[in-house]
Amino acid sequence: MSDILKLDKKRLDKFVAALLSEYRLFGPVEANGLTRFAEVESADALKLDSNTDESAKGIFFPQVETILTYENGKTETPSGPDKPIAVLGIRPCDARSLLMLDKVFGTGKYNDSCWTRRYENALIISVGCNTPRAGCFCNWLDLGPFSKQGSDIALTDIGDALLVESCSEKGRGFLESSDEIPFRKPTDDDLSKAAGVREHAESSMEDKVDISSIKAVLDKSWDSSLWDELAGKCLSCAVCAYLCPTCHCFDIQDEKMPGTSRGRRIRIWDTCMAPQFTKEASGHNPRPTGKKRIRQRVMHKFNYFVDVFGEIACVGCGRCVRSCPVNLDIRYVIKRFMDAG
Amino acid sequence: MADVEQVLRETVRKLLQEQKVCRVIGYARGSSALRSTPVFIEDEKDADSLVFDITCGNNLTQYLKKCGKAGDGRVGIVAKGCDGRAVVQYIAEGQVKREGILIIGIPCEGVLDHRKACDKTQGREVSEYRIEGEKVVLKGKDFEVSLDKFDVLSDSCRRCRYPSPPVHDVFITEPKEAASQEPECKEFDEFEKLDASERWAFFENEFSKCIRCYACRNACPMCYCEECFVDQSNPQWFGKSTDLSDTMIFHIVRVLHTAGRCVDCGACERACPLGINLGLLNKKVEKEIQERFGYTSGLDPDETPAMAAFDEEDKQEFIL
Amino acid sequence: MPDNCYIPIPVTVDKIREESDDKTLRTFDLSFCDEKQAFDYLPGQFCQLSVLGKGEAPFGIASSPTEKGFLRFTVNRVGVVTTALHYLKQGETIGLRGPLGNHYPVEKFKGQNVVIISGGFAFTTLRSLAVYMFAHRKDFADITVIYGARRPGLLLYRDELAEWEKRDDLNLHLTIDKEVSGWDKRVGFVPTVTKEVAPSPKDTWAVVCGPPVMIKYTLPVLFDLGFPPERIYTSLERRMKCGIGKCGRCNIGSKYVCADGPVFSYAELQELPEQY
Repeated sequence: MSDILKLDKKRLDKFVAALLSEYRLFGPVEANGLTRFAEVESADALKLDSNTDESAKGIFFPQVETILTYENGKTETPSGPDKPIAVLGIRPCDARSLLMLDKVFGTGKYNDSCWTRRYENALIISVGCNTPRAGCFCNWLDLGPFSKQGSDIALTDIGDALLVESCSEKGRGFLESSDEIPFRKPTDDDLSKAAGVREHAESSMEDKVDISSIKAVLDKSWDSSLWDELAGKCLSCAVCAYLCPTCHCFDIQDEKMPGTSRGRRIRIWDTCMAPQFTKEASGHNPRPTGKKRIRQRVMHKFNYFVDVFGEIACVGCGRCVRSCPVNLDIRYVIKRFMDAG
Repeated sequence: MADVEQVLRETVRKLLQEQKVCRVIGYARGSSALRSTPVFIEDEKDADSLVFDITCGNNLTQYLKKCGKAGDGRVGIVAKGCDGRAVVQYIAEGQVKREGILIIGIPCEGVLDHRKACDKTQGREVSEYRIEGEKVVLKGKDFEVSLDKFDVLSDSCRRCRYPSPPVHDVFITEPKEAASQEPECKEFDEFEKLDASERWAFFENEFSKCIRCYACRNACPMCYCEECFVDQSNPQWFGKSTDLSDTMIFHIVRVLHTAGRCVDCGACERACPLGINLGLLNKKVEKEIQERFGYTSGLDPDETPAMAAFDEEDKQEFIL
Repeated sequence: MPDNCYIPIPVTVDKIREESDDKTLRTFDLSFCDEKQAFDYLPGQFCQLSVLGKGEAPFGIASSPTEKGFLRFTVNRVGVVTTALHYLKQGETIGLRGPLGNHYPVEKFKGQNVVIISGGFAFTTLRSLAVYMFAHRKDFADITVIYGARRPGLLLYRDELAEWEKRDDLNLHLTIDKEVSGWDKRVGFVPTVTKEVAPSPKDTWAVVCGPPVMIKYTLPVLFDLGFPPERIYTSLERRMKCGIGKCGRCNIGSKYVCADGPVFSYAELQELPEQY
């Protein structure tokens, strides 16, 4: 417990200043009726009391990223970030998702340098979820509102102050080297407050459902009629995929400025729910129906990803649950398969 | 609404029993008290899963094309005013045959904008709700809030003139008369007062939130193109990025393509995960069409849609 | 490959050849603008070719690593990128990423018989394989090539096939679907020809690439002949973007065609849930 520090919220500016001296800082910012991650330059801009509408993946895997630009046949590659990235105020679910994305982009024969150049040296500072929202189900995924996987530093909001705990060497290193942040030692009262906050958050979530056998169940569900039922109502839009912190499919597009020799090659998010995703130039499409596409999405998360990386590609952040226009609730989908299997 | 639900279930059960329809598109309770989900009922035993209340926001018309297999018999559809108008528009546009559809009209008092309700409850799980006159009371594990219904209604419902479908085959309880004129809509009036550059700035601000998920398009009954222009790759009409110029073109072309067809059901706006105000632009275009061509979409299946008709008297001042 | 695996390296178009009489197929010989960026590869691997402003598309390498100084690709004109490639002129520079994917298991073929069965323009990487085996001829026992097209003008690499016919260390069976005057070789579909001329499955490996319908009817023939699925290989095609197992579109079950393939044995494919 001796590792835990306390920081008065009104001194958060010092923490932010220390981060800004070493990092480009991203955090949840409220603007235009939405809470989204954005680059911040002061503590005032941060909104730490609710989860973001969009996930944090875009910080490291932007929706649109330039691979190269060209003019008159000469290509140029944009340089990487000048400073490493720090994220302050990410929720435990999103912090966990970054570890999953890192498995996709940062491991294997090919290292995706667009990802690693941002993520490799990043400092991830999460804040526990005092009030999990409707639709949150991180507890199904062996996570909780105060999980620390993927975090370098974890914060707990106890009202006027934050408790600060390092969860990695990188996090400890930063905290130890930042003398100018006025940390204090938490009192026993602070610690019990934190325990209370955590308990309240955990108990406010709906009951955990054990989905550890979902991979095996889906192995046998390829021909299930449930796929037809789901496809019947699914709109094939990309709400679930684009809000999802672990969905990572993308497209590569060339764009030329009309009337010039200038253009760019970009990588942009894409979704397996779109019919064009797999459609070949010849017109042939291996996944031409909504049924095949929704099966792909569910299988990728709860079966294929488990096969390849040993874990489910879902962190239970609940964004798809809350935002699906037809209430095609992934919790319900998984439960239905579990019940049938 | 309990009565309406009982009558609805009974009616659907009978329609299926008597084989007047082969399936019915309706709403079932969703995964939370404030959500409903589209459902397709083929077996009379399942009729009891039908619900109807303020959470039934999806425009079900778009499922008609998916659901109606040839030679299968009539398809029933539970239709609020706006769903009914979309069905009428489908008939007018030759997308479905009148005799293939059985319109089950249902009285609508407006539907909930889920995001608004969510904001009012700080995102907490609502386990039950009840309507008390003009109030909606939302109840969760350790809270209860009473809200003005108007504040959580979908924007399109606040300005709705047609609570009941203009055409129906059966009606659950009694149809409500269309309002003699459009309800006052402060938001729209204020929007109209803006000059062109202010309007442009408004939409730039709204569309800057767009992530190109196409939920608006896919939830829209009128966006039924086999292949949307944004998805065409040869030729590719414009970029797929979220640069403002690309997102603006998408939304502008979409609204032009639904001009004179949009029934202002608000499905697009409710589907948007980022709360983009799409309704004002739709409404503005709808008004233009009414003023220019005296046409209101989705009222008369036999009337030629505005964009499919030509009249020498049409205003042409935009032709230089 | 460069540090950033999405950056193509520049290659020059040295030669362009019209490959089919319907002008839908062109063969390009490319060379590295910077010799230092040259790479080694094996038959069956592919590259992403790109034309700036048009995009990238994957193509199997048709040259053999034993042929030095050029990389060969045959391009079927179907979409935006392939059309742009067809408009290329000699001396122009395009982008290339590769080599990508796995390869035919040439190490397993050592000391064994190999039968190559192909139809139409799927012959590209099989040419690579054949030329590779010719260059290491002593490493392999009998080599049989069964190759068909709808008509003579649609057979790839016709001059080369004429040279191959003179080889006494190769059983070459060329076939066309329907009889035409001037054609003195076989007439008939690939599966039928396979039934007639395929070698005994004993110590033999089969590599089958062609249009889906050809594969559909050839596989049962091979199974009837006694080829086990472990010794039948094919190369799959899918729409691809990244080519390195990240972008998520070319998967069949938990395998990515770009990274885990494109070469699979039928034993491997039978494990996958989806139709391939």
